[in-house]
Amino acid sequence: MADIEIEIDGKVVSAKAGEMLITVSDREGVSVPRFCYHKKLSIAASCRMCLVDVEGVPKPQPACSTPVNEGMKVHTQNDKVKASQKAVIEFLLINHPLDCPICDQGGECELQDVAVEYGSDVSRFSEGKRIVPDNGIGALIQTDMTRCIHCTRCVRFGLEIAGMMEMGGTGRGENLKIEPFLREGIQSELSGNMIDVCPVGALTSKPFRYELRSWQMNSMPSIARHDLVGSNLFVQTYKGKVKRVVSADNDWVNETWISNRDRFSYEGLTHKNRLLEPQIKVQGQWKQVSWKVALDYAVKGLNSHVLKHQKANQLGGLVSSTATMEELYLLKKILTEIGCDNIDHRLNVKNLDNIITLDSNIKLDALEKIDYALIIGANIQLEQPMINHRLRKATKKGADIDVLNVMAFDFNYLLNTENITAPNKIVFTLAGVLKSIMTNNAQELPDYLAAVEVDEVANNIASKLLNSSSSVIILGEHIINNEDASTIANLVTQIARNANSKTLNLSITANTIAANLVGFVPKNSGMDVNTMLVSDMRGFILLDIYPQYDFHDLEIAVKAFTKDDTFVISLNGFKDDIVSDYSDVILPIASVYETSGTQLNINNDMQSYTAAVKAPKEVKPAWKVLKVMADLLELPGFHYADSTQILAEISHQPYAKHTHDEDINLTSKYNSISTIWQSSPYSIDAVLRHSSALQKTKIGQMNSAYMNQASAETLGLSADDKYLGVPVVITSAVADGCVFINANQATNTQEQT
Amino acid sequence: MISIDAKKQIDVWIAKYPKDRQSSAVMQALKIVQAENENRLSADTIQAVADYLDMPGIAAQEVATFYENYNHKKVGKHVIRFCHNISCMLNGADDLIKHLENKLGVKTGKITADGLISVKKVECLGACVGAPMFQINDEYFENLTSDKIDQIVNNLK
Repeated sequence: MADIEIEIDGKVVSAKAGEMLITVSDREGVSVPRFCYHKKLSIAASCRMCLVDVEGVPKPQPACSTPVNEGMKVHTQNDKVKASQKAVIEFLLINHPLDCPICDQGGECELQDVAVEYGSDVSRFSEGKRIVPDNGIGALIQTDMTRCIHCTRCVRFGLEIAGMMEMGGTGRGENLKIEPFLREGIQSELSGNMIDVCPVGALTSKPFRYELRSWQMNSMPSIARHDLVGSNLFVQTYKGKVKRVVSADNDWVNETWISNRDRFSYEGLTHKNRLLEPQIKVQGQWKQVSWKVALDYAVKGLNSHVLKHQKANQLGGLVSSTATMEELYLLKKILTEIGCDNIDHRLNVKNLDNIITLDSNIKLDALEKIDYALIIGANIQLEQPMINHRLRKATKKGADIDVLNVMAFDFNYLLNTENITAPNKIVFTLAGVLKSIMTNNAQELPDYLAAVEVDEVANNIASKLLNSSSSVIILGEHIINNEDASTIANLVTQIARNANSKTLNLSITANTIAANLVGFVPKNSGMDVNTMLVSDMRGFILLDIYPQYDFHDLEIAVKAFTKDDTFVISLNGFKDDIVSDYSDVILPIASVYETSGTQLNINNDMQSYTAAVKAPKEVKPAWKVLKVMADLLELPGFHYADSTQILAEISHQPYAKHTHDEDINLTSKYNSISTIWQSSPYSIDAVLRHSSALQKTKIGQMNSAYMNQASAETLGLSADDKYLGVPVVITSAVADGCVFINANQATNTQEQT
Repeated sequence: MISIDAKKQIDVWIAKYPKDRQSSAVMQALKIVQAENENRLSADTIQAVADYLDMPGIAAQEVATFYENYNHKKVGKHVIRFCHNISCMLNGADDLIKHLENKLGVKTGKITADGLISVKKVECLGACVGAPMFQINDEYFENLTSDKIDQIVNNLK
C-alpha cells in the first residue's frame, strides 16, 4: 500500500492508502472517542461515537470504518463533529442507568469518560429507561446488562478471538439484549478478556465485585507464571493485597489478551490454606517459631544429618517448575557449594532415561504466520490457551492443522485431520512420517526405518510438511510419560530437520526453560530425582513441592521423604498435610506477585518482575530464605542485596548446554492399557488449586478418567466406577488401549495400577 | 428433534448456497422446524437447527429472536401479525389493534379461549403501500378498516 498524505485538523500526516481513519488518528495521538471499535477486533461501526467530518462528504463519517485517501481533509473538533458527538452520547445514555456510584466500572469506564468530555450535562430524556434482567453467566464474569450499550465487543471477542461464539445479540430494536444462549454460562478459557474489552460496567470481574475503585489501587506490571508464555499483565493492589489482575499489551507475547488462568489465579494468595509462619517439628509435634529459630533448626539439621558425616552426596534438592530463575540458581549454588550434585526439577517423569529433549525454535508471533502445524499429544486449547490462540489466528489465514492425539478434544478451529491413536502407536506413525519424507527427498534411509510401514496418515502428514513453506511440529504434555517419549522427541527433531520445519516443545511448563538454563539437573555423579527417591538419603531441600500433584508416583516420593533419619526442609506457599507429615522444617515462602524474579518464556524472553505486594505475615520470598540459609551455612559468595544481583550473576554464568543422543529405537514397549494422567488446566500449581472462582468453572471441575468401552471391559470398569480414584467416563473419543485422565485432585492412587 | 422430512426440506435450501455456507439457510430451516413443532420454536429446537447447520446456537437464536415470524410461545391456530410500524401507525393501526383486541376479547400476545387465534404486534412487514395491514399465517391483508377486520376474522375457522 502506498504512502499517502492526509490532513487531520489542519496537520498533514502520512498514512497508508486504505487504512482506517481511526488507525491514523490513534497513531498521531488525535483523540477520537469510540465504543465499538477495538484494535484487535473486526469493525462494527455500530456505536457512531467516532464520527468525524470529512471535507466533501455531507454527513459525518465514522472514523473506524472510513478508509483514508490521498489528500483527504478531516476535522475531529469542529462544530459539526461536536454536535454529532453530543447527539450520539445523548442517544447512548438514553437507556444507560447512570448508576456510576455503585458500578465497578466507575472511574475506569469509557462511557463515563466520553460522557464527561463530549456529552451534555443534562438529560432531556424523561421517559422510562429499560431494564434488562441478569441471568448470570458463570463464576468469573459479573453481568449488569442494563448498563450495556450494545457495542458488541464481547460478541466479536467470542467469535473472533475466543473462537466460540458464546455471547450474541438477541431480540431487536429496544428489546436487543446481549446474552449467551441457553444460560449455560460462558465457558471459554479466555473469557475474562470480555471484562477488559467491555467499555461500560455491563461485564465486570466477579471476584472483584464491590471491592474497590480503580484509582485506589496501585498497578504494577508483572508476568504470569502459570505457563511458558509469560503473559504480560498488571497486578492491581490495595493495602498490600492483590485485588485484581488485568492484561498488559505486548504483541510479541500475549498481544492484549490473557488467559483466565492468569487473570483469576491471584485469589489463591489469600486462601486460608496459606502458610504464614515458619514451623519446626520437635518430637513429632509442630511448633510455630520465629525465622531465626526455624533457620537455625534447618541448618543444624543439615549439619547433624548430612554435613557432619561428610555425606553431602546423600542430600537432595528438588524444585517445582514454578520457581523463579533466581530461586533455581540459588538453591543450585548452595548445594554445589556444599558438594551436592543431586538436584532435579523433572519430578513427574517416570523414566528419566526416556525424557523429551526438544528445543523450541519458533517465536510466539511467528506461530500465527505458519501454514501447517502438527500437534502431538496436547489438549492445546485448554493446556496452552495463548499458544492455541496464535494457532487459531494462523488457521484463519488458511493454515492447516493436523492432530495426533490419544483422545478427541475440542478445538476452536477446524482441523485438517484429527488422528486418534493409542499412545504406543504414536512413535510408529511418526517413524512413518520420517520415512515418507526421506523417501520423498531421495535420502538414504537409516536402518531403523527399513521395516517401518508408512500408512496413509503418515503419508498425508509427510506431504503436508513437505509442501508447506513454514510449518511447526508441536509436542505436548501427554507425551511426557509415554514409553517412547525420547524416541518420539528424536523423531520430531529428525522430521523437522528433513522437512525444514520448526519445533515447539510444550511438554514442559511454567519456568522449566529457566531450570534447564541454570542447569538444575544432576551433573557429574549427581543423582536424578528418581534415583534420589529410591536411594538412602539423609536429607532433602524441597522448594514448593506438593508430592500428591507433582510426582508421577506419590507413594515412592512420600516413602523417601518420611524415612526416619531423613531430614527434610520444605519451602512451601500453602499448607499441606502430606508435606507436614514428612518435613522437619517448613518455611513459608512468597507466591506469585509477592516476590521479584525472572521467567524465561518459550520465546527465550527473559522477563523479570518485581514484587507487587509484600508477602503476608511472616512469609518471605524464597530467594531471601535461601540466601540467609547460605549465610548460616557460612558459604561464600551470597552477598546479594536484591534479586537483580542474582540475575546479573546468572547472566555471567555459562548457560547449561544439553547434549543428548538422538538414538532412535523402534520397539513397542508395552501392549496393555496405558494411562495418561494430566492435571486439569486449573490444577497445575498450588496457587491455581486455591483460586476459588476458577475452581468453580467447568474447566476447574474437570475430573474424569476417559476410556472407551473396550478398555473399560478390559479393566472391568463401568460408568459408575472410579479408576485411580477418578470417576470413569466411557466415550468412544479415546483411542483403544488408553485411559486419559484429566484430574483436579491428588494422585492418591498409583498403587492401583 | 428435526424430522427426516424437515431435514429433506432444509437440505433443499442448503443446496442453494455455496458449500460451507449452509448457515445461510438458517431462516428457512427455522421456519420449517417451527412448522412441525406446533408453530413455535423452543431453545432445544433452535439448538437442533444450529447443530444441523453447524453454527453456534446463539447465532441461530439471534435470527430466531430478531424476526417476528418466529414464535417462542404457544400460539393459536391462526397468528395475526399486526404491523404497528410508522406507516401503519400513521394510518390508524393503534386504534385498529384495540378494535381487534376488543372483538377477540384478548390482548395482543395472547390466544383466544378457543385456541383459534393469537395476535402479535410486529414491526414493518414491508407493505406500507397498503397500510394499515396485518398478516395472517402466510397471507397479507391490506388497507384495513374495522369492518374489514371483522369480516376477515369472522371467516377464520
